[in-house]
Amino acid sequence: MKLTEAWRLSKLPYREVVFRSLAQERNRMWWGAFGRNSTNKDVSDDFELSKKALQIAKFDKLIIAVFNVVVSIIPFGSFLLGSAAFGLSGSVSLSLAITFGFMTLYAIQTLSSFVGTESSALLTTLPISSNDFSLITLFSFVRSVDYLVVGSVLSQVVLVAYLTLSPLATALMFVASLMNSVFAVAVALWLSSVFHKNYMRGGRSKRTTVFRGFFILLWGCLLFGVSLLMSVPYYVLPILDKSLLSVNTLAGFLLSLIYPFSAGLIVTRLSGSIVPFFTLFGASVAMAIYVLGAWFSAKWSLGTVKRISQGVGVKIDRLRAVDFRIKSRGPLRGYVVKDLRVTSRNPATAFFFVLPVFETVIVAFLAWNVEFLRTSTVLVATSMGAIFVLLIPLALLTSEGKGIEYVKTLPITSQRLLTSKALITMATFVPVPFALLCLALFKPPTSWFTISIPFFMVISIVSASIFEITIFLRSVGKSKIAGIVNDGEKILVGLLTVFVPEIAYALVYLFSFNHAFATLTLGGVTFAEICIALYVVRRS
Amino acid sequence: MSRDLSAEPLVEVSDVSVRFGSFLALDNLSLRVMPGEIFGLLGPNGAGKTTTIKVLMGLVVPYSGKVKVCGFDPLSESVDVKSRIGYVAENSIVYESLSPRDFFEFVVSMRRIDQAAANRVVSRLADVFDLAQFFDSPIATLSMGLKQKVALIAAFIHQPPVLLLDEPLNGLDAKSSRVVKDLMSLHVERGGAVLFSTHIMEIAEHLCTRIGIIDHGKVIAEGTLEQLRSKTDGQGSSLEEVFLKLTNEEAAVADRTRMLREAFFGNEAH
Repeated sequence: MKLTEAWRLSKLPYREVVFRSLAQERNRMWWGAFGRNSTNKDVSDDFELSKKALQIAKFDKLIIAVFNVVVSIIPFGSFLLGSAAFGLSGSVSLSLAITFGFMTLYAIQTLSSFVGTESSALLTTLPISSNDFSLITLFSFVRSVDYLVVGSVLSQVVLVAYLTLSPLATALMFVASLMNSVFAVAVALWLSSVFHKNYMRGGRSKRTTVFRGFFILLWGCLLFGVSLLMSVPYYVLPILDKSLLSVNTLAGFLLSLIYPFSAGLIVTRLSGSIVPFFTLFGASVAMAIYVLGAWFSAKWSLGTVKRISQGVGVKIDRLRAVDFRIKSRGPLRGYVVKDLRVTSRNPATAFFFVLPVFETVIVAFLAWNVEFLRTSTVLVATSMGAIFVLLIPLALLTSEGKGIEYVKTLPITSQRLLTSKALITMATFVPVPFALLCLALFKPPTSWFTISIPFFMVISIVSASIFEITIFLRSVGKSKIAGIVNDGEKILVGLLTVFVPEIAYALVYLFSFNHAFATLTLGGVTFAEICIALYVVRRS
Repeated sequence: MSRDLSAEPLVEVSDVSVRFGSFLALDNLSLRVMPGEIFGLLGPNGAGKTTTIKVLMGLVVPYSGKVKVCGFDPLSESVDVKSRIGYVAENSIVYESLSPRDFFEFVVSMRRIDQAAANRVVSRLADVFDLAQFFDSPIATLSMGLKQKVALIAAFIHQPPVLLLDEPLNGLDAKSSRVVKDLMSLHVERGGAVLFSTHIMEIAEHLCTRIGIIDHGKVIAEGTLEQLRSKTDGQGSSLEEVFLKLTNEEAAVADRTRMLREAFFGNEAH
C-alpha cells in the first residue's frame, strides 16, 4: 500500500478516535434534556455534533497547539525582551519540561480512546494485510498529536536559532525537542494503556482501587507541575541557572544528568557559552543515553500501536464473583457513589479528583511565605481553591455519558441529581477551609473572624454548583450543542457566585474597618445565595 | 398513592399521536394491556413500536391522546409510573464503566429497594443468567447478550407490575431466551402485565396472550392469534403469514425474493 493511500485511509480510524474522545470529553452530548422529553431537535443536534466532531477536534487541536507554542516560549521571555538576566540553559530546560508535561496531559486525553481497539474495529473486517493495517493505525495515531508536536518542535528550534545564531545549537535543539515529543507520547501511551488495562480488568480488590488512585494522583502531579512551571518561570529560572552553571558543584552535576537539563546545558555550550567541564561531561553522557532512550521509546510506542491495531493490546482476566451481594444506599447516597465510581474510571475526568489535594497545596503555598495570615491572603487562597472546584460540576455532568438515558427511566427527580452533584462539589472544597485553619495555628491571623470566611464560602460553592448545573440543564433543553460546547457562561455564573460574597466583604470592610461586621455580611450573602439556589432546585 | 388495579388495565393508550417534525410517528394509536396479559407489539421497522413504549415511559411526549400506566399519567406522575415499570430499551443503555454489581447497587438505591429483597432477586437472577464470571467486570467489556442480561435483571429487580420490553431477546442465547420467556410467563401468572416488541414471529406466536400489529403508527389489528387469523381468512396459517397479509407486504416480499434470485443467479433464475 502506498504511503499516501495509507495516510488517506488513516482518516477513518482517526475520525473514530476523535469522535470517541470527543464523546468522552463532552459526554454531556448524551444528556438530551433531563426532565424534558427528547425532541426532533435533539436528534438533529446529535447528527450535527457527529458531523462536526472532526471540525471541533481540529479546532481544539489547533488551540491546544497554539497554547503549547505559547507556553514553550514563556521561559525564553527574558531573552526576547532583550534582557540577559537569565541563562539559556534554564530557559531551554524549562521550555522542554513544560511542553513535555503539557503534551503528556493532552495526549492522555486523546490516547485513552486510542488504546481501546474499537477505533480500528471496522478496518479489521476489510481485506487489508496486517502490515498495511498497522501502517494505517500508526498514521491515525500520528494524526492525533501532529499539530502539537510540530508546533512545539518548530517554536523551540526557531527560538534557539534566533537567540543563538548557532547551527549546532539549533540542530541539537531540534533533536532534543523531537525527543521531548517522543517521551511525552510514550509516557501518555503507557499511562493510558495501563489505566485502560486496569479499568478493563474490573474487580473490586483494594489493589485495583489503590492502582487507580495512584494514576489519578500521578496525573494530578503532572498537572500541578506544569501549572506551577507555567506560572512561576521567572522565580524558577535564576535558581535553576545558578545551580546548573555553578562551577564544580554536586547539584549542578546531578542536575546535568537529568533530562531536560542535560539538553539545556549542551545547547548552551554549543551556542558558545561556558559550561563547567564536569557538568558538561555529565550532560553529554546523559544526553547520549537519552537519545538511546528516545529511540527505544519510539520503538516501544510503534510496537504498542501495532499491538493495539491488531487487538492484542489488553488482556482481560475475569474473576469469578464469589457472591452476588449488593448494597442498597438510598437515592442520594446511591447517586453520589455512582458518580464517584463513574468519574474515577473515565480517564478524561478522573484527574478532577486530585483537585482537593491540588487546592490545598496551592492554598498552603500562597499562605506559607507570610508572617501573619492576612484577610487578603485568605480571600485569595479561598478564591483560588474555588476556581478549581467550579470545574467539578461540569466534570460530573460529563461523566454521566450515555448512562443519563438510563437515569431518565428511573423514578428520580432532577432535584436529586442536582443535589448529589452539589454535594460532591462541596466535598471537594472542604479541604480548603481546613487547610487554612491548620495554617492559622502556625501563622496568627490578623483577625480570627477571617478564618470563618472559607467555611462560609463552602455554602457559596454549593450555590455556584447548583447554578452551573441548572444553566446546563436549561441550555441543553434549548439547544443541545450550546449546552455541550459552550461552558463559558456556566463557569462565569459560578465565578460570580463565589466572588459576590467576597466583594461584599471587601466593600463593607473598606467602609467600616470592622472584620466581624464584614465577615457577617459575607455570611449573609452566602446564605442569600443558598436560599436562591434552593429555590432554583425546588423549581427545577 | 395507591389505587385498586385489579379491575383496571395496567396499560392504557387512547388515541395517542406523536410527531417528529413532519413525520407522524404514532397516529391515533390505542391499546390496552390487562393484568395477566402478555401483549406483543409487532410491526415493520419504523412502524412506531419503540415510540409507543417510550410514550408509556414518559420519554416521548404525545401531542394528543391519553396514556395511563397503572392508573398514572407518565408525564405528570412520572415518578409513580417509573417506579411501577421495568423497562428494557432496544439498545440496552447502562453505565458502561460500572460493573453489573455496581450498576445493580445504583438501581436498587435509586428505587429504594430493601437490601435483603434486592439481594434475593439479584442473586437468583444472576445465577439463572450465568453472570458469576462477569459480575465484577466493567459492562463495557461484556458482549451484547451479557449487556442485555444486565438490563433485564435491572428491569426485574423491583418486581414491578408492568414490564415494557423493547426487543428483549436481542443478542440472547437460546438458554437465556428461554429464561426470559419463562420470567414473562411467571410475571403474568402473578397478575403483572408485559408489553413487548419483537420481530421474531415464533416468540410472539407462542408467548403472547394478545398481539397488536402496528404499521405507520396505527394498530391495524389486535387480538389473539386466532382472532388475527380470522381477520385474514387464513385459518391455520402462521403468524408470519398473518402479519404479512395484514401489513399488505405479501406481494412486496414475493417481489423482493424474485429480485434477490435475479441478483444471485442472473438469467438462470428464469
